[in-house]
Amino acid sequence: MERSVIENKAATPLRRREPIHLLKELKAIFYLIPFLVPFTVFYLWPVIRGAWMSLHVWGIQGMQKYVALANYKKILENPDFYSYLWNSFYFVLLCAPTVLVLGLVLALIINQRIWVRTLIRSVFFLPYVLSVSVVSFIWLKLFDAKNGPVNAVLHALGMNADINWLTDHRFVWWAITIATDWWSVGFVMVLFLAGLQEIPTDHYEAAKIDGANAWQRFWSITLPGLSSVMKIQIFYQIINCLKLFGQVQIMTGGGPGDSTNTMIRYIYVTGFKKDMFGLAAAQSMIFCFIMLLIAVVQFKITDRKDG
Amino acid sequence: MKKFALNIAAVLLALLFIFPLIWMFLTSLKPDGVNVYTLADWVKWSDLNTDNYVKVIRDSQILHWTWNSLVIGVLTTVISILLSSLAAFSFSKLPFRSRGIFYVLIVSGLLIPTEAILIPLYETALHLQLIDNIWAIVLPGLTNPIGILLLKQFMDGVPKDYIEAAQIDGSRSFRLWWSICVPLTRSAMVSVGIFFFILSWNNFLWPYLAITSEENMILSAGLPTFLSNNNMSLNLIMTASAIAAIPTILVFILLQRHIVQGVAMSGVKG
Repeated sequence: MERSVIENKAATPLRRREPIHLLKELKAIFYLIPFLVPFTVFYLWPVIRGAWMSLHVWGIQGMQKYVALANYKKILENPDFYSYLWNSFYFVLLCAPTVLVLGLVLALIINQRIWVRTLIRSVFFLPYVLSVSVVSFIWLKLFDAKNGPVNAVLHALGMNADINWLTDHRFVWWAITIATDWWSVGFVMVLFLAGLQEIPTDHYEAAKIDGANAWQRFWSITLPGLSSVMKIQIFYQIINCLKLFGQVQIMTGGGPGDSTNTMIRYIYVTGFKKDMFGLAAAQSMIFCFIMLLIAVVQFKITDRKDG
Repeated sequence: MKKFALNIAAVLLALLFIFPLIWMFLTSLKPDGVNVYTLADWVKWSDLNTDNYVKVIRDSQILHWTWNSLVIGVLTTVISILLSSLAAFSFSKLPFRSRGIFYVLIVSGLLIPTEAILIPLYETALHLQLIDNIWAIVLPGLTNPIGILLLKQFMDGVPKDYIEAAQIDGSRSFRLWWSICVPLTRSAMVSVGIFFFILSWNNFLWPYLAITSEENMILSAGLPTFLSNNNMSLNLIMTASAIAAIPTILVFILLQRHIVQGVAMSGVKG
């Protein structure tokens, strides 16, 4: 029943031409008000307020003085900003592709008739319901350099390397990526599974009759069939990776050195540790602008009818 | 043969995936000081006991934090489902001229994540004297537009005839919502609700900032204080993690179908 409900939505376009009828308008808006109140106070207002704060020297005790764009100038002239921004994007480059590919692989496996399929699907999904603190604690200890199981396994496999996963800048991003992939891949898998089930089976049968092998069927039926989920997920994962905070806060504290300090952690430290709210608000504005740009690109791409 | 290899691969992958959780639970059941890293010690079943659980629960506020997480999770979920459903009803069943504008306004809430408005959000909460109060977590948790998007889809599936028939019988629109649309979209509301609950339960950064006293802390944000406590042994840290993980794992096992459905719905919509 629910499937048919979803399909119905296309039939009801949002905009319709109706005469303005004030009472009707007010009545409809009345139903939106319970949502609009918290939305305005805790979302819209902070967005506007943030823009205003970014133009000031501001501390926890309040506004000190108006400085126009001085905060922005200060940020853009500071090399730290670029390295933290790069860290955030570096994590996107590592984590987004791996989680998408792994999620797709898991979905393809689960979509086959395999043993205890539901149980295995649950196992892959399970880490997603854990909080970032639990995930970070587990992996903090798994990656422990001296006694961690990860190094123990490497030893057992004959590798004589004591890898300092969390304190060596060559490995630390991989450690965080592995933890994050483990945590969130189940989510991606479920979406791809839903997408796979939408692809009509007779497409595969037709392709088989035409003599297409498994690899060709994957490229010409499965991937195009998943393209809409894929497009949404690419952008969702980019944004998600850019928001990285909990894992680095708990697992590395931004270290070694500053190598895992991300934009969100930069904003957090500037605002709450150094008590420079104005500067932190300006950093947030720049960061919001970057995310908005990404969102605009997403809309441009997903809106194209042929896609 | 190929099928067999696929099965083996799936099982091995699943074992690899569950290993961290098994390791966490086993470690939490080991006595203090045991070397849990060598295989021989790891599989010594005889020394498993629940002393660590007793110790963590006795020496920390972890049960209190669990309670806080639960209260906040339930409040956030119930209120936000009701608000989302009302708004979805308005968009779906009460044709009005300015709804395009309102819809765009609300959907724009998906663009900028809370993480990027931390500073002004904190300042707002400070002004409203909400800092260190559970409402500081509940109220901003009500602004997620995803519920509206999803529930609107399901409301659109409620046939127009039902609404019109009820209108002819003289029902007011509030009754149309409560007696027709809510029951017909109940399963969607449950799925979205569970999804909201998990989001709230696992919310980290904002509670970490907005709650300052140990007493009002929620589980996800309180947990890291275990690390700053240097004499915490590995066993106890894993015990604390296990205590934090058990409720969500239980919820997941019991309501699996709804959770997976909720995720599938929310993610495909973006």
